Amino acid sequence: MEIDRYERWFMIATFTFIIGAALALMISVVGHHASLAESAGTINPEDVRTTAPFDAPGLHPSTDPDHDYDLVIIAQTWSWTPEEMVVPVGANVRILATSVDVVHGLKLKDTNANVMVIPGQISEVRDVHFDEAGTYWLFCHEYCGIQHHNMAARVIAE
Amino acid sequence: MAIIEEPLALESGQADIAERPLGVMTRPQGGNGWRDWLSSVDHKKIGIMYGVAAMFFFVVGGIEALLLRTQLAFPEQGFLSPQLYNELFTMHGVTMVFLFIMPLAAAFANYLIPLQIGARDVAFPRLNALSFWIWISGAIFLNSSWLVGGGGADCGWFCYSPNSGITFSPTHGVDFYAIGLLIAGIASLISAINLIVTVLNMRAPGMTLFRMPVLTWMLLVTQFLLAFALPVITVALFLLIFDRVFDSQFFDPEAGADPLLWQHLFWIFGHPEVYIIILPSFGMISEIIPTFSRKPLFGYSFMVFSGIAIGFMGWGVWAHHMFVSGIGPISVLAFSLSTMFIAVPTGVKILNWLATMWGGKLWFTTPMLFAVGSVAMFTIGGLSGVTHAIAPADTQQTDTYYIVAHFHYVIFGGGVLGMMGGAYFWWPKIFGYMLNETRGKIHFWMMLIGFNLTFGPMHVLGLQGMSRRIDTYSEGFGFEFWNLISTIGSYIIALSVAYFIYNTLRSRKEARDLPPPGPDPWDARSLEWMLPSPTPEHNFDEVPIIESQDEWWHRKYGYDEDHNVIRIATIEEAAQKGDAVGVHLPSPSFWPLVLALGLPLIGYGIIFNLWLCVLGGLLSGGAIYAWALEPVDDPDADHGPHDDHGHDADHSDDDDDGDAVAVGADDSAGDA
Repeated sequence: MEIDRYERWFMIATFTFIIGAALALMISVVGHHASLAESAGTINPEDVRTTAPFDAPGLHPSTDPDHDYDLVIIAQTWSWTPEEMVVPVGANVRILATSVDVVHGLKLKDTNANVMVIPGQISEVRDVHFDEAGTYWLFCHEYCGIQHHNMAARVIAE
Repeated sequence: MAIIEEPLALESGQADIAERPLGVMTRPQGGNGWRDWLSSVDHKKIGIMYGVAAMFFFVVGGIEALLLRTQLAFPEQGFLSPQLYNELFTMHGVTMVFLFIMPLAAAFANYLIPLQIGARDVAFPRLNALSFWIWISGAIFLNSSWLVGGGGADCGWFCYSPNSGITFSPTHGVDFYAIGLLIAGIASLISAINLIVTVLNMRAPGMTLFRMPVLTWMLLVTQFLLAFALPVITVALFLLIFDRVFDSQFFDPEAGADPLLWQHLFWIFGHPEVYIIILPSFGMISEIIPTFSRKPLFGYSFMVFSGIAIGFMGWGVWAHHMFVSGIGPISVLAFSLSTMFIAVPTGVKILNWLATMWGGKLWFTTPMLFAVGSVAMFTIGGLSGVTHAIAPADTQQTDTYYIVAHFHYVIFGGGVLGMMGGAYFWWPKIFGYMLNETRGKIHFWMMLIGFNLTFGPMHVLGLQGMSRRIDTYSEGFGFEFWNLISTIGSYIIALSVAYFIYNTLRSRKEARDLPPPGPDPWDARSLEWMLPSPTPEHNFDEVPIIESQDEWWHRKYGYDEDHNVIRIATIEEAAQKGDAVGVHLPSPSFWPLVLALGLPLIGYGIIFNLWLCVLGGLLSGGAIYAWALEPVDDPDADHGPHDDHGHDADHSDDDDDGDAVAVGADDSAGDA
């Protein structure tokens, strides 16, 4: 088949770009986990408040060797527990969150944490860093009812 | 069982004996006024009704959008209560997707598919009427929740469980949502099967699959997508209704259910749905751009195959809506890659449109402006789509206004603008008069500018972190300016739609003093342009024999010995006159309408009082029997010389499909 010279270069460039993008994505996801949210197990939504670690929401030394701290958060319509959290600047934090009622979303502004909080499931975000001191707003990003827009909490890094 | 045989030689006098095979039911014979529309099985009338109803719901959904934008124009406004806001954004989404874009595509599909393949009607004309009436009864049912259901659904169009459960959404809104969409889904399913059969079996002699216009191809792919996607949402909605009405626990996490089940079911339907919305528009653009570039479509077979590829790949990308749902890195990776790869066939289409225009003799009429505008806007939406395909980037974008911007660029920019172009393009064919070009261009620019003002700033808002589906926002986050611009833009879009409606009415009035547009005002390429405008009831006087792609163009133009294009026939010479008399057409029927009326009654019954279900069931069930027992044709109807249906008793066992007008090579299709 006769392919025009420019057309051939265009095809090569296009395919290189596509395969390069695909490879970059594979490396970032498989090699570096790319901060993608994962499910870290299941939990009965009725028993959330009596099951570890959610019986004591807030900041604790991490049970995971890769992290300094676990930030344990419970979502309920239409607030977060705890509503104010203090974390050390620069620490490597793992977020564990679950919901006691409907699907919520945990979006921590100015960080890479954005995960859906699903009842019955423990959502995990690894490698969250708070590099600058200050207040980080935690919003609900998944529509959850009439007070959805007011569902916010604060993480204070100091 | 071919029904086309030699016309029966009737003994003289025999024809006068009106034989009523089953005695009871008669068929209306069409004729006058509104009753004609209610009983019509003509694909053109049904197409027009679909189009008009879709435009009505466009206005309804548009008003809902205006209310939302008014609320968001300034921070901390109390114009709408949070509950009303939630109901409005839910109903806006549902209305625009299910009651505007899908039926508008169905309008074009109904009207144009038979014309483009050289058929007299669709394969199952009564089913066609049924699908329209069921759809409109579902649409009215869905919206009646504002009046009798205590407000609209408040769960978002995606209706994630358990927020859609009875605990968190105690009004009847979600019930109306679920049952309304179930009813409308029946309509789409019927229509999909009908049109698939039409395209596969009713093509004119010589119209091979690879001579079909790209629009017909894309609509065919769309119908397959509908036929496979709707069962999935039907299952999901059934489970939802069982949860809400009969206390089952499919989506109750406290009973051990996994709410992700709903998300998967919804998006396995929801992503093909996006292609259901966009492919008809792609088809129309593929008709408009070659016509006004005075060139054949570049890479016809690539266009067709990339459309088919989109149709297949569209099934493998749904979980990109769930990248933050915790489905795990491997699933995310797989769906991320498949989402990137679906950009390839889409890119092929965009490049082929550009290559069609390249070196062409461009004629920027209103339809062409809309088509080109649509390609440009879709490209923007497609590019922001690639940014979502990169999962780590998507975690920053999920549920922000960036997503709202993206899908409006795809659905409004790619879908609605393309179909607006289609409306201007086929308007003379459908209604017999041209829309005013100057006003059309003003409409285009208003719409394009309003559209970009509305949805462009949402990219910025989303990247600033503004969440979706919030009924107000606080001062101090930097959201104020772009929200105000966006609201201004939405009012410009509203004005442009009003101006479009004004243009249709005004042009109709002015057309009385203008010469009629003739069969082919744009010097176009496909078969429908060989018919007079508006299309006569029987479509083709004689079914054309197809010898090439772009058959109509090749009937007007040929080549001289130096391979230069020369005109070989004027439009008037090549076009059909539309003066055939006594062409046998399917007889009208009221039963599709009656059958459809029963379904909303069943819906109200499930919600309010089960006795209503009995009433609705009797109505629909009775209509099914009446439908089955009604003769294929009214024996008293006038049959002229073109009546090629043998009119004998063994015909009465034909079901609906006996009144298909079998044309062409596959003439036995109708009564399979």
